[in-house]
Amino acid sequence: MTPTDAIPLLQARGLSFLRADEPVFGPLDFALHAGELALVEGDNGSGKTTLLRLLAGLLHVGEGELRWRGRGWNRDERAGDVLFLGHQLGLKMDMSPRENLRIAAGLHGTRSGRTAASVLIQVGLAGYEDEPVRRLSAGQKKRAALARLLLLPAVLWLLDEPYANLDRAGIALVNQLLEEHIAGGGAALVTSHGAVSFHGGEPKRIRMHG
Amino acid sequence: MNQASLPRACAEVLRRDLTLAWRRRGDIAMPVLYALIVATLFPFALGPEDALLQRIAGGVVLVTVLLAMLLALDAMFRSDIEDGSLEQLVLAPQPLALMLAMKILAHWLTTALPLIVVAPLLAGMLHLPLAVMGVLLLALLMATPMLSLLGAVLVALTAGTRRSGMLLALMLLPLCVPVVIFAAGAVAAAQQGLPWVAPIAWLGAALALALVLAPLACAAALRIALDA
Repeated sequence: MTPTDAIPLLQARGLSFLRADEPVFGPLDFALHAGELALVEGDNGSGKTTLLRLLAGLLHVGEGELRWRGRGWNRDERAGDVLFLGHQLGLKMDMSPRENLRIAAGLHGTRSGRTAASVLIQVGLAGYEDEPVRRLSAGQKKRAALARLLLLPAVLWLLDEPYANLDRAGIALVNQLLEEHIAGGGAALVTSHGAVSFHGGEPKRIRMHG
Repeated sequence: MNQASLPRACAEVLRRDLTLAWRRRGDIAMPVLYALIVATLFPFALGPEDALLQRIAGGVVLVTVLLAMLLALDAMFRSDIEDGSLEQLVLAPQPLALMLAMKILAHWLTTALPLIVVAPLLAGMLHLPLAVMGVLLLALLMATPMLSLLGAVLVALTAGTRRSGMLLALMLLPLCVPVVIFAAGAVAAAQQGLPWVAPIAWLGAALALALVLAPLACAAALRIALDA
């Protein structure tokens, strides 16, 4: 193992988030290396979504310390490396999955060799590329959002309930996406109530106290 | 890996907002219809007296256009907040202020520009002399972007709150007043044959300042609004 591998992608020490001076979660300690998957576990209201929003950079760090690649926690260091998929999918309902991907690609760039058309086929939306998102089912909307994961170049995926609304094939798809991403040296933090069947090694578990 | 370029990101954001506006063109027509109705009602209420209408024409058109813009203002970021696109925009590796400037530009193009296009018609219905029409359009070209920019900052500030419409109107009023005074001042001066360049120049100076500062303020305000 080279020294650069030893530096975790993401490291939290005594991390907590305060809302109106009340801690929402934490203090949490964890480290996530490239090629690792972490499952965030906890009951409803234990702060899983809050943790992901904080790691995405939408919320400020309450107490404790976060490091990105061993350096400080600032926006420019992480720019483009983190992809967040939350409960709100960030899709424009009046636009087609293809158009939505085009905008995302315009903002983030794309992985080499991937195009909007190819990733939409991969997530099982062939034939629905040009249908307005509002006409798709909840599961298909989710798939359109998942297509972003395949197209955009990001090292760390933050997925909030990626299995929600998906059928069996969709759940298998998410697992497959995660396995490929982890095998390719990426990292992911996933919150989920459902059983995650992950075949790329034992995932890390981050337990929220709440 | 294809890196995202800044010009392409700007173009995509602008294109998206214009496409969305086009797909909901009924919403664009609303402020224009409102302005038409208000301007049509004035002669009915005040009587068809030429001299009176001529005197108030410039002011009425200006105020009508600015009020019509207010109708569409609080929708500027609403749908983006609801569907999560704003979060994605904030997290994108692009300068947020510039992306928001594109959104504000799209908003101006879809709400203010149609109003400026019908403004000569409104002014004509109120018998504004043709010679003054150019000054009125110039004043509108300065005043409407100001309102879009200032409005965007206030909308961003109130983005986190429910029923922000009332708060927005209250906060926008004091900021609108100088814009209306200078714009209407220029039109009135032109109508009386006085030099009208000074008020327009003041508006231009304020617009230059707002163009630079408002997107930055808007970005900071939105980051705060999401951080809750």
